[in-house]
Amino acid sequence: MKYQSFIGLEIHIHLLTQTKAFCACPNQYGAPPNTHVCPICLGYPGTLPAANAEAMRMSYLLARALNCELAATCTFDRKNYFYPDMAKSYQLTQFFAPVGRNGWFDISLGSETKRIRIHDVHYEEDAGKMIHAGKHSLVDYNRAGASLLEIVTEPDLSSGEEAEAYVREFRRLVRHLGVCDGNMEEGSLRCDANISINLPGKGLGTKTEVKNINSARFVRRAIAYEINRQAAAKDNGETIVQETRLWDADKGITLPMRTKEDAHDYRYFPDPDLPPFSPDDAFLADLETRLCELPLHRKQRYERDFSIPADTADFLAEDQQLAQLFDDCVSLGAPPKVAANWLAGTVQAQLKRTERRVADSHISPQRLAQAIALVEKGRLSASRAKEVVELIILEDRDPEEIMTAHGWEQTSNAGEIDAWIAQVLADNEKVVSDIRGGNPKGIAFLMGQVMKRAQGRADARLVKEKLEQALTGQ
Amino acid sequence: MEPLTLWQNLLRDTERKTTWAQALAKRDAVIRSLLEFHPDGDGDTPHSDGDLPGIPFAVDSRIAAEGFRLTCASRMLADFVAPYSATAVERLQHRGARVVATGNADAFGMGASTENAATSVTRNPWNTDCVAGGASGGAAAAVASGLVPFALAADTGGGLRQPASLCGCLGLRPTYGAVSRHGLAAHASSMDTIGVLARDIATLRRVYECIAGPDERDPTTAPPTPLAGSAQRVGVLDDLSDLSAPVAQNYRDTVAALRDLGIETRPVALPLLPHAVATYHIIAAAEASTSLARYTGVSYGFRQPDTATPEEMIRQTRSLGFNDENKLRILLGTHALRAENYPRYIARATQARAAIRHGMADLFRDVDLILTPTYPTQAFPLGTDAPHSVERKHADRYTILPSLAGLPAAAFPTGTANDLPLGLQLIAPPFGEARLFDALGRILGDAPCPLPPTMTALGGQP
Repeated sequence: MKYQSFIGLEIHIHLLTQTKAFCACPNQYGAPPNTHVCPICLGYPGTLPAANAEAMRMSYLLARALNCELAATCTFDRKNYFYPDMAKSYQLTQFFAPVGRNGWFDISLGSETKRIRIHDVHYEEDAGKMIHAGKHSLVDYNRAGASLLEIVTEPDLSSGEEAEAYVREFRRLVRHLGVCDGNMEEGSLRCDANISINLPGKGLGTKTEVKNINSARFVRRAIAYEINRQAAAKDNGETIVQETRLWDADKGITLPMRTKEDAHDYRYFPDPDLPPFSPDDAFLADLETRLCELPLHRKQRYERDFSIPADTADFLAEDQQLAQLFDDCVSLGAPPKVAANWLAGTVQAQLKRTERRVADSHISPQRLAQAIALVEKGRLSASRAKEVVELIILEDRDPEEIMTAHGWEQTSNAGEIDAWIAQVLADNEKVVSDIRGGNPKGIAFLMGQVMKRAQGRADARLVKEKLEQALTGQ
Repeated sequence: MEPLTLWQNLLRDTERKTTWAQALAKRDAVIRSLLEFHPDGDGDTPHSDGDLPGIPFAVDSRIAAEGFRLTCASRMLADFVAPYSATAVERLQHRGARVVATGNADAFGMGASTENAATSVTRNPWNTDCVAGGASGGAAAAVASGLVPFALAADTGGGLRQPASLCGCLGLRPTYGAVSRHGLAAHASSMDTIGVLARDIATLRRVYECIAGPDERDPTTAPPTPLAGSAQRVGVLDDLSDLSAPVAQNYRDTVAALRDLGIETRPVALPLLPHAVATYHIIAAAEASTSLARYTGVSYGFRQPDTATPEEMIRQTRSLGFNDENKLRILLGTHALRAENYPRYIARATQARAAIRHGMADLFRDVDLILTPTYPTQAFPLGTDAPHSVERKHADRYTILPSLAGLPAAAFPTGTANDLPLGLQLIAPPFGEARLFDALGRILGDAPCPLPPTMTALGGQP
């Protein structure tokens, strides 16, 4: 590659708060237009914003997870510009003292880990939505004042692939922390990219900002396109114009939207209505308890400590609840690799079948560990284990209790097994004589007959052993 | 007996109410102080169990009272009916009082004469050729004329104190944060307050105590830390050279009267007084330029119809909805807030403000209260260029100082000269309202301030 690329991302996430950023309206989407509005988010005269404690917790939590320096006092500022969907004609944001600054976040690129620096994390309110209907323009203010967090990286990413990896890892993080649902198609996670290229060693080039990228895949494609576009322009001796461009997903290209000359002077100004927010010790201590292990770190730990294959480790780390279940199960004594296979296999299959998630099932680490132990000890067959898992998803009962109630416990009583084998051999003389005559094909059939007679309660390994003895021993 | 007692149950007694409403209409025809008047108040039957049962009051045009127009005396909000009530209004209603009227003002609280109002000019009840003062001149003239026993009004840089002195009644600007701003249409949020206009100390105190206190709808409200003790030492000014002769003489007489009451007076120099007006106007204009940006015609208020694009609609709505004074301040504030101007204007004004705040706090180490003029002159003639707009802004320096420092201050009447009221201002440390009431009680006694002769001539006091 002739040029070096510098990519910084600005990610906006909708926080999963109950209420909007500065009023008591529900923070939800998809309601009929202008039904989640009040005088405050409509910017009526005389109304005042009030900070949202839940949103502050989520903001500090994410800033903490991104290893930021947390603001001892964060302030709220007005960003002024006129647009019909901006009810007050200013956006409440954090310009002078954001929640967090100077953080970092690790992403995994194949076998390597890359550290991306975070410039800042700041809290702000969303705007409404303009809809053009023929000759008329309509505004829906349901989203106006919704609580947003913007996370700005330094230009440390160097390709579309890296940016996509960052977005995917970041999305996993916000889902784990429970601060955002991470849905890019619905716009709860939005990504803008600042892209510049230059000859190696020449530092940053003139950047363009690409907006309207609404999937992780498009992040890669839009950036790749923009890098190529800039490279071609430079090769042709053109200068890159500092501008904002829109990603057109249908055509797979970026198009100019506005140049720097149109750039606003936002006239940032401390909001006199909102006092600064200063987290106290209890607030900060509470953050630590809410902080969970980052997905990437978790995945790497599973691979390193438990020799779990990469894809299984990734699968477990992706889902915070699954990962927690796994960790707890292991700490209760379940063999890690077996537990991982259970979670990725049987448990996952049964959750899907019953359309449940870990949270709304009756699975607990204790129950899962118990079920695994039952199989390991030979008291429960692998096929019965599936049924037991289904029942511990649906019913509030322990595996051992379920097994006993259904009479699924495998017997290791030699006398009982011998009796079943004797009966089967007696009923199938023809097969027995064929086997003894040198044709082993019938063994599987006899095995099946014994298991059927045992109604699944016999330990298959023991039955196989004894059956072979019985056939050869005479 | 407290003067307010005379007004009790007025709104629940049809006969008394009718007499009062007729007298009010007659008086208001002279001064044109009210924008809306509904003697039936805000609808439902007044509580009888509160301690302000059936008592009518007025609110400034910038204060929301559900069902009344929240016009801000501007064309921009001429038909905007408040969908909710200010916290201060609700607290009074809860005690049984009822809003009956809104007072005229300079649009969005910008002006010192109530001449910058959208619909009519309010006249001074002592001399109808003179201004009532402003911005909240309507509410002050109404109270001074006895139309209502008290009013809630906005005070940003002196908006209720200056007209109180020019019309001859009491006006209290509370400590910033003592009274919720929820329901007060913003002009300069860091200095906006809701204060009280009344004709006697007991009413002033009762209303203030009712509306004060923290409100979760205004995060800048704070629990009061009341200052105990009465005023023993009052800071007074030596240099009176910038005052008109009657105001200067009145100041000297009042200082003498304080000494006669056994109060010690000590000379003080107000911090950064020559810079107060510039500091105030930069900060207030900056805040106003963003606070008034919401008036676009998009979802409420005046809208210029038949425009080609939403952007054009916003531009024309603002061009036609705001008056010249509003536009002047919006432009000034926008200019000051530009990124390249921020250090030169906003940063320096913020510094100057901090210095004023500290300077005032230093003064209060030696004195309990400070006596200043409210305004350098008495009410000036209506419809003239004298004093011109810049001089009028400069004349606000004494009321601006407590605004910048967030301090409580009360304007109080000190007699008349040339058949026009005189008035001065007492400034207290934060949450020193009780100390103000105590001093004012000693200076003025319990009796209400005198009504203007033109009004007594019309008769009809409740």
